[in-house]
Amino acid sequence: MQRLKKERKAPYEKPSIGIGMQKGFGLQNIGWATLLRGGPIIALLLLVVYFSLASPHFATISNLKNIGEQNAYLIILAVGQTMVIIGAGIDLSVGAVMAVSASVMAVLATQNVTILGMSVGPVHASVAMIIGLLVGALAGAVNGIVIAKGRIPDFVATLGMMEAARGVALLVTGGLPIPSHFTATELKGYLPEAIIWTGGKYFLGIPTGPLIALVVVVIGWLILSQTILGRSMYAVGGNKEASRVSGLKVDRIKISIYIIMGMMGAVAGIVLTGRMNSANALMATGVELKCIAAVVIGGTNLFGGEGTVVGSLIGAVIMGVLGNGLNILNVSAFWQRVVIGLVIMAVVVFDQWRRRRFGT
Amino acid sequence: MKIFSGTYMKDSGRIIIQGQEVEIEDPHHAKDLGIGMVYQELSLINSLSVAENIFLGRFPRKRSGTIHWSRLYREAYNLFDDFNVHVNPRQRVSTLGMAERQLVEIAKALSINVRVLLLDEPTSALSNEERNRLFEIIRHLQKRGVGVVYVSHRLDEVQQIGQKVTVLRDGKKVGTLSVEEVDEDTLIKMMVGRELQEQFPKEEVNLGHELLRVENINIVGKLDDISLTLHEGEVLGISGLMGAGRTEFARALFGIDKIDSGRVFIEGNEVSISSPWDAIELGLGYLTENRRNGLVPRLSVSANITLASLGQVRRAGFLHHRTERNLAQKYIKQLTIHTSGLGQKVEFLSGGNQQKVALAKWICSRSKIMIFDEPTRGIDVGSKTEVFKLMSELVKRGVGIIMISSELQEVLAIADRIIVMCRGAITAELKRGTATREDILKYAVIGGE
Repeated sequence: MQRLKKERKAPYEKPSIGIGMQKGFGLQNIGWATLLRGGPIIALLLLVVYFSLASPHFATISNLKNIGEQNAYLIILAVGQTMVIIGAGIDLSVGAVMAVSASVMAVLATQNVTILGMSVGPVHASVAMIIGLLVGALAGAVNGIVIAKGRIPDFVATLGMMEAARGVALLVTGGLPIPSHFTATELKGYLPEAIIWTGGKYFLGIPTGPLIALVVVVIGWLILSQTILGRSMYAVGGNKEASRVSGLKVDRIKISIYIIMGMMGAVAGIVLTGRMNSANALMATGVELKCIAAVVIGGTNLFGGEGTVVGSLIGAVIMGVLGNGLNILNVSAFWQRVVIGLVIMAVVVFDQWRRRRFGT
Repeated sequence: MKIFSGTYMKDSGRIIIQGQEVEIEDPHHAKDLGIGMVYQELSLINSLSVAENIFLGRFPRKRSGTIHWSRLYREAYNLFDDFNVHVNPRQRVSTLGMAERQLVEIAKALSINVRVLLLDEPTSALSNEERNRLFEIIRHLQKRGVGVVYVSHRLDEVQQIGQKVTVLRDGKKVGTLSVEEVDEDTLIKMMVGRELQEQFPKEEVNLGHELLRVENINIVGKLDDISLTLHEGEVLGISGLMGAGRTEFARALFGIDKIDSGRVFIEGNEVSISSPWDAIELGLGYLTENRRNGLVPRLSVSANITLASLGQVRRAGFLHHRTERNLAQKYIKQLTIHTSGLGQKVEFLSGGNQQKVALAKWICSRSKIMIFDEPTRGIDVGSKTEVFKLMSELVKRGVGIIMISSELQEVLAIADRIIVMCRGAITAELKRGTATREDILKYAVIGGE
């Protein structure tokens, strides 16, 4: 019995080359043709032009630095979330993972704690940061294993992790901001310089937060477009069954994605802690949806198999520019949320229309 | 069938119901005309109850506009009661067996006061006992004046339940006879028809040593003691009807589905294949029955070609794009894949070209043992011939091919040996040259008794 075929038809026989993954995974991915094609970059340019004309305070060096510093963590999260979504998943636990890894790091760097009967710390900043990263990786690994081996929808597993990780963060910090003058010992209530450096200092005249974000973007781009693992992520997200039949170890790939996401969450947590000079268990609430929005604005297909890190970078910057520009224009915080919501919808509607129209 | 039930529109012709010519626009309209259809692939919603499924979209309502639940269940109960069948209307469909689901499906069709009931292979999933029960219901319906169109490839059923039989082949009517006039042999002859003039390139290749030996593979309820061998340079055809277990066998051999028992030897060594990864490492390739399960549509042509051999395009831990391009280019040329470029997404290729990409994937991974599941389904004649030429090339290089196909001419022309399967078991092994279409059909339909 013949089944009704539901095939998408290309309106044009020959879609022009240079769009997204069309020309392989090489450098062409960040070619101008790619960027100009998409709605996101157009939207970003329009926003920048509008805010520059509307306010003399927008297009200043100090404000642009400010936008970068405010959104460094969001860019880092968006890179990880891009991989997750390309792999046809979704990670709701990123904010909680940020908080738990930052909290663990901050506590270890400022307090003397008792672990299994041993008195530890305060440890050196670099050790604390590495442990923070490991906490993130562990949370990601748990996500990945539960999803892949437990055959549970990504949404549900990471929803659980979102709650659990917040809980652990509260346990670790005792609900207090870290460092706090109640608990900090030798360091007298200050985080080590090295941690503050990650989010609040300058390196060769560039703010460190955005610089780290940029490094993460490059790493994300390298993984997705230049490695076998990256290719496998696209394949698994695009067609899990076909990937399995082609001999890809689907479970391992899925777990790897979530471990990378967890580590990027930890990096974001460290950067945000550096910027705020403090970590607490309730930091970064609601960022999971913000970074998913950035990824979607950036043109990544929520059903998996398609997307780019550069797109997500643009998506995150759009979110940042919008917030900042509206602030400068003195738009009330309530209206800001309405505007941001509408912009997300508009960009995605435009992008969908473009995909249908141009068949790419 | 699909035209009659309104799923497809006809291009021409007339449908006359009780003397009136009608134009069936959509499934809804068909229902209004009293045409009920029971689909081969069941169309029930597993998470809803039996009664909800039966009256889906036409729930009885109270005056307030809310659903009249008690009436819903009572009506469903009455419907079953009419036929002396006992299915609990409140039970969820997901907890029912195949036969009961079939009954629900029929009840759904009957709930709209049908005059004509279309049944498409209703017994393919039923046991003999369940089948008899279904036949009773059908006879019951006949007495009530409902006309029944019963589609089946089980010839014995035709005599059990039919009064008239129409044979269709390749979309054309071969003939309509009354059941008393025909026996199974006549039917098979009508189904086979005359030879079509098609070209199948087949070159004789000397067989090498044994590549693959499968001994007594079993999957409870699906495969029954499958044993076979495959040699270098051999094309082994597997023939049989839909649901005979051919694809199940291929999936089991390739490590996609678990086998309950049985042994597999490759070049004389016993191997254990528990995942497709193992299978590929051992030199197997599997062109899936459904291209959608074999390709990643949103990835490029080159990415799809190298998907099963990513190890070949790895340099120092990174993906080496130039190697990948060269590889892809080679196979695009070799298989004459028509694409606007390496970066073309596979979803925009024609069916024939998609199939060639899927083939290129396994040639690229240097498979020694290839399983082709319906390699020519849904592709044009030109591409078909190219696929056969390619198979010839492969066997000349010493590859062994297991070709699963429902196209009898194909199997007869291409395969060196033909294995016929019926209901999960091998019923015959036939030699090229001596086998006829009648032989294959006989073993495929009635299992050779």
